[in-house]
Amino acid sequence: MIKQKNKLWLFFLAAVIFLAACGSSGDSGNGSGGEATADDGEPKVLKVANGADPVTFDIQQTNDQATTRIARQIYDTLIVQTNDLELVPGLATEWEEVEDNLYEFKLREDVTFHNGEPFTANDVEFTLRRAVESPTIGHIVDSIDPDSIEVIDDHTIRVGTSDTFGPFLTHLSHPAVGILNEKAVEEAGEDYGVSVVVGTGPFEFDEWVTGTHVTTNRYDDYWGDAPEIDRIEFNTIADPSVRLIELESGSADIAYDIAPSDIPAVEENSELTLMNTPNLGSEYLGLSLHNDTPLREVKVRQAIAHAVDVEAIIDTVYMGVGDQMSGPINELVFGFNDDLEPIEYDVNKAKDLLAEAGYPDGGFSLSLYVGDNSQERIRVSQVVSEALAEVGITVEVQQMEWGAFLDSAAVGEPDMFLLGWTTVTTDADYGLYPLFHSNSFGEAGNRTFYENERVDELLDAGRYSTDQDQRLEDYREVQEIIHEEVPWVFLQTRENVTGLSNRVHGFEHHPTGSYDLSVVTLDAE
Amino acid sequence: MLLTSKKKINQAEEEMLNVPQGSWAEIWYELKRNRRAMFGLFFILFLTIMAIFADQIAPYGMREQNLSNALQFPNTTHWLGTDDLGRDILSRMIYGTRVSLTVGVSAVAVSLIIGGILGVVAGYYKGWIDTLIMRFCDILLSIPSILLAIAIVASLGSNLQNLIIAIGISSIPVFARIIRSGVISVKEQEYIEASEALGANDIRIIFKHILPNILSPIIVQSSMGIASAILSAVGLGFIGLGLEASIAEWGTMLNAGRGYIRTHYYLTLYPGLLIMLTVLSFNLLGDGLRDAIDPKMRER
Repeated sequence: MIKQKNKLWLFFLAAVIFLAACGSSGDSGNGSGGEATADDGEPKVLKVANGADPVTFDIQQTNDQATTRIARQIYDTLIVQTNDLELVPGLATEWEEVEDNLYEFKLREDVTFHNGEPFTANDVEFTLRRAVESPTIGHIVDSIDPDSIEVIDDHTIRVGTSDTFGPFLTHLSHPAVGILNEKAVEEAGEDYGVSVVVGTGPFEFDEWVTGTHVTTNRYDDYWGDAPEIDRIEFNTIADPSVRLIELESGSADIAYDIAPSDIPAVEENSELTLMNTPNLGSEYLGLSLHNDTPLREVKVRQAIAHAVDVEAIIDTVYMGVGDQMSGPINELVFGFNDDLEPIEYDVNKAKDLLAEAGYPDGGFSLSLYVGDNSQERIRVSQVVSEALAEVGITVEVQQMEWGAFLDSAAVGEPDMFLLGWTTVTTDADYGLYPLFHSNSFGEAGNRTFYENERVDELLDAGRYSTDQDQRLEDYREVQEIIHEEVPWVFLQTRENVTGLSNRVHGFEHHPTGSYDLSVVTLDAE
Repeated sequence: MLLTSKKKINQAEEEMLNVPQGSWAEIWYELKRNRRAMFGLFFILFLTIMAIFADQIAPYGMREQNLSNALQFPNTTHWLGTDDLGRDILSRMIYGTRVSLTVGVSAVAVSLIIGGILGVVAGYYKGWIDTLIMRFCDILLSIPSILLAIAIVASLGSNLQNLIIAIGISSIPVFARIIRSGVISVKEQEYIEASEALGANDIRIIFKHILPNILSPIIVQSSMGIASAILSAVGLGFIGLGLEASIAEWGTMLNAGRGYIRTHYYLTLYPGLLIMLTVLSFNLLGDGLRDAIDPKMRER
């Protein structure tokens, strides 16, 4: 009897000790987690609600915004494009065109990678050669002639282009061309970009829990101005209304891509700030010439452009975010043609044009594909379908999973589709060539299969010239032709809409949508 | 000779036919006294009328947009307000009954017919075919029904027909089980033996003697089944696997209104209420029918 009682006590004691041990190990775990701490001992953690999980941090294998928004904190580029779209030195201190189509870059000498390796011209060579080979981002650097890359010394490198390429320097500032460390990439092999990520940026990669979060810690040997925050947590929150709730409840300091319908909620909240600036993106309704439909007639396409009330779409679906576009690129992009007027909403004109094309009462039907990842685009698809019903065109809307949607649009399956494009390089070449050149049919970007000899000629001329005045002229003409031939119904410009807690200071938008967080400071909670 | 013998069988059968659960008039009498069931029945009738005469009843068209009138709170011209594209919510709810009732009834019909055949075959013939069918049902039951429906819709594409197939398939095993157990219990009865002795064939016994006697659980399950089929359809619509967004469907309405729930509650409130009332009605009616048909189950 007594023995049994003792046993019970012993068991109880053991349980208590076990629980206590658990508790203390948890505590010490937390303590060691904050390696870099601020003066008052508490690490300053910036919590960011990001809209999607990154794809990989091997930045040459992806070109998506969710990844870039994180990768930009980890990697540096040779040249940096400021928020005002000026090119300023990054890892390269100066550059000059030493011969025709051959540039010499002087590199910073005080830079180390997060793994301790010094940054040298060899890393630049490795990065650029690897980038040219990449099927995903190769198009960004395909002007580089790999044979011309020459390391002069540890901190000097020459890079040539195979032909004159106007926006070459701008392309080098693309976040996808961030400089990789040769040793880290080679050693990690398959793991590179997933568990091993090495850059020279202000923050070093800490961990990535797929579908949940990515954390980065301040890199203390960063060559530039040291960030004030110690750590950034990027939480993957796909649903925009959940991102807003996280922001409101204080679980996030910055929430990216606030949904238009949630804008008033941020604006009305005195604890939060809404930042809303135009970006380089544009939305469009693609009118495909791939299938044998009446869309192959210019007049039918013009009629459709007149039948859709873009202003109303902006006001109701996008809650006033964005401006109606007059052409395929927006005014922040070099080469923008400011003489073009938006195509006006005029149902009667649309009907007349249809009649001229031989379809007096419409009387044909078209498919319209839309990806299921954007509530706004799904709404636009309904507005378009209603608007075209007005002029007698039956629209069959097909809502599809995003990946399947992109694939089917790339092979020309839909008659019409809703999509957007961001001219990340800020140059008309990137905003027009992939979308309207006959070389870019399908996946490369020209999903309407639009073809015009003159447009091809002008786009080629613009791409392979450095005479900016001539380029401007060429691109203006391209936009005029496209405005006339409407392979797209131009919808609206996009805007970056970010919700910020009032604790956050110094945050600024970049028109490409990937933001530099090293300048952000945080008030104490 | 042949004719007279058939007549004889008929007569003999009719005399022996002993319907244990009372006649339809009795059931109706019981049902009428159950207020909750009557509420359900009347609400379902009301919905049916709305679905059939939607074109006449709805004040606006299903797709009729008025972008300048978007997101209006309930008022005198739009009794339940307008949605984000200026469409009348009341009208879309009325048109939505069509989809929901069609899917509910048709999906149950699909599962009743297929499940019924499987259940009868399994229960009547037993043996290896019973084992085969019931293990198949067990497998089907082990997959969550909504997941199965999602998989079917995702692979077939989303239109009304596929929605019905998807939801119908996922409740086949439920019907198969109920009908099988009914068949087994009835098959042991003496009057079946008697019919067999009189020379009736299997088809005749099944349709004439077995099925009429297991109707009650089938009716009850069907009524409940419609409720869950409607809920599944709404669920699929809500997660974006339902019909194309311009077709008025309660689930898609909820999904579209979700983003506005804090500023324009009525976008989700009214369709949500209607879904609740519809499902409740079918469940109340099902309960009432069960009580009326089987007095032993009646709650006092």
